[in-house]
Amino acid sequence: MTEAAAKHMSGEVRTSMYRVIIKAGIDQVWSELIRTDRPMPFFFNGQYDTPGLGEGAAFAMRTPDGKHTLVMGKVIEFEPPHRYAHTFRFTTSDDPVSIVRYVLKPVDGGVEFTLINEHAASDPVSKSEKQMAQGAKFICENLKALVETGKATMGGRMMLFMFSLMAPMTPKAALSTNWPLERAPDLSENSVKEEA
Amino acid sequence: MISPASMDAVFQALANATRREMLDIVRDDPGISVGAVASRFDVSRIAVMRHLSVLEEAGLVISDKRGRTRHLYMNAVPIQMIHDRWTSEYSALWAGRMLDIKYLAEQRRAREGRDDKADTDARNKGEMS
Repeated sequence: MTEAAAKHMSGEVRTSMYRVIIKAGIDQVWSELIRTDRPMPFFFNGQYDTPGLGEGAAFAMRTPDGKHTLVMGKVIEFEPPHRYAHTFRFTTSDDPVSIVRYVLKPVDGGVEFTLINEHAASDPVSKSEKQMAQGAKFICENLKALVETGKATMGGRMMLFMFSLMAPMTPKAALSTNWPLERAPDLSENSVKEEA
Repeated sequence: MISPASMDAVFQALANATRREMLDIVRDDPGISVGAVASRFDVSRIAVMRHLSVLEEAGLVISDKRGRTRHLYMNAVPIQMIHDRWTSEYSALWAGRMLDIKYLAEQRRAREGRDDKADTDARNKGEMS
C-alpha cells in the first residue's frame, strides 16, 4: 500500500464537514445525488460520464455539452441509499487526489445530508482544497434547494449562468478528449507524484 | 431556503461570546476533541458540553464519535444560507469590495499610527479616499 493510501486508511487526514437537513425522503435525495442521465445543477452543472456508479467504477464529471471535463474520480464506497464516496481531482490542477464522502441519514422531518472532504494531512492545503471548501457549501445548499423546490437557489442559478458565459475561456487542459475514463485517479497517485 | 426556526437557532447560538469563541476554536482545528475544547475554558466541562450542544443543534458544529472520543467540526452551511438569504451574487460582490476597502484602510491606520497627519499624507498621495 502506498504511503498516502495508508495515511488515509490510518486516519491521518485533514477532514472538513458540511451538513444540511433536506426535507425529503432518503431515496429521493440519493437518486438526485447519483443521477447520471442529466447535468446536476448542485454540482456546477457537471454530468457523470461512467459505465455505472458502483464500487470501483471510474467517472468523469463533464459539462452538459460533453466538451469539457471538470473532475475525475473513482468510486470507493457505494451503499445505497446511505453512503457514497469517491476519489477526486480537478482536471485543471496537479494537486493531490482527495476523497469526497456523502453520508445520508434519515432524521425527524427529512434527511441529514453530510458532505465530507478528506485530504492527506501530510499535504499542505492546496488551491483545490480551498475550492472544494467553497464548492461543498454550494453543493449542500443547492442539492437541498433542488430536492425541496425542483430548482437551484437564485445565487446558484446566477452562478450557473456565469459559468455558461465563461465556457469559451475554459482551459485546454480540461478538454474531454484529454480525459478518458482510464485517467480516473486512484489514491495511490499521490505518492507516485511525491516520488517523481 | 433556511426555515425560520433553523435561523432562530443559528442566531441564538451565535448570540453568546463563549460559543463564538468555541466555534473559532473548532474552525481552526477541525476534528478537535470535546476535552481539548473544554481545556481552553475556565468553566465546568458540563457548561462546555451545554454550549457545544447549542452549537450542534443549530447545525454549526458537527460531532463525529470515533471510539470513546467525540471529534468536532465546524459546519459553514447554515451561515452560508443566512448570507444567501439577504444577498444576491451582485450585492455580495459589492459588499465584499466594500469590506476589502475597510480592512485595507484599517490595516494602514494600524500600521501608520492613528494621527490625522498619516491620513492627510495618504490622501495627498491619492491612496485613500
